[in-house]
Amino acid sequence: MIEALQQAGFRSARANHFFDSFSGTTKERVARKYEVRGANFIAHK
Amino acid sequence: MSIECPVSLDREKLKSEVRATYAKVAENPQGEFHFHRGPEYAARLLGYDLAELNALPQIATAPFAGVGNPFLMDSLPPGGAVVDIGSGAGMDCLLAGRRVGPAGTVVGVDMTDGMLECARAGANEAGLHHVRFEKADITGLPIDSGSVDVVISNGVINLAPDKAALLTELYRVVKPGGRLQFADIVVGRELSEDARNDIDLWTG
Repeated sequence: MIEALQQAGFRSARANHFFDSFSGTTKERVARKYEVRGANFIAHK
Repeated sequence: MSIECPVSLDREKLKSEVRATYAKVAENPQGEFHFHRGPEYAARLLGYDLAELNALPQIATAPFAGVGNPFLMDSLPPGGAVVDIGSGAGMDCLLAGRRVGPAGTVVGVDMTDGMLECARAGANEAGLHHVRFEKADITGLPIDSGSVDVVISNGVINLAPDKAALLTELYRVVKPGGRLQFADIVVGRELSEDARNDIDLWTG
């Protein structure tokens, strides 16, 4: 995502704050298998 | 790592499945889905303020299905122009509307009629008349170039089959000095071919 943001022209792109968004859902097992999480991103023009 | 749409995935089918899934969420937020919904989830796992959410109309908060919290990164400028990409039932738009105040504007963009109905009803019930919603494909925003202070989004950019086109469109609408602050899904390990082609995984 960071690379895609930079390629679109955004600068200072970074991710912070990660979330266990699929904990307790029916997709929890596959989310853990592939390390799927929610994340916050910020990027400037 | 983020998810890239596999070449073999039918992009129109994906868009149709996404629209159908979120239409069901709008109609029945308490239904069976493989992702969380609602304000209790948002407070427990994503760091939203439950008291603030409980002060908003339930029609806007119950279908919430974001994956992070765009408001944790930076404050929104009072009087600013904000756009929410894939605004769903409008919970984040209402929060943004309270932060920018009546001198600002918030535009939520979504492609699901049921979600737009919830969002418009919620904004009306909350009396946030500077918050409005538009039906559009997020890669063709009905927004003037260079007019937006902050673009927010929550769990939607990963649903776009062509992320490069979407990010180019977001760059177009943001003012110089403006920013994106959004939440989305990240994947820490390479997906199997089956997983990459499983539309169910893309719609959650």
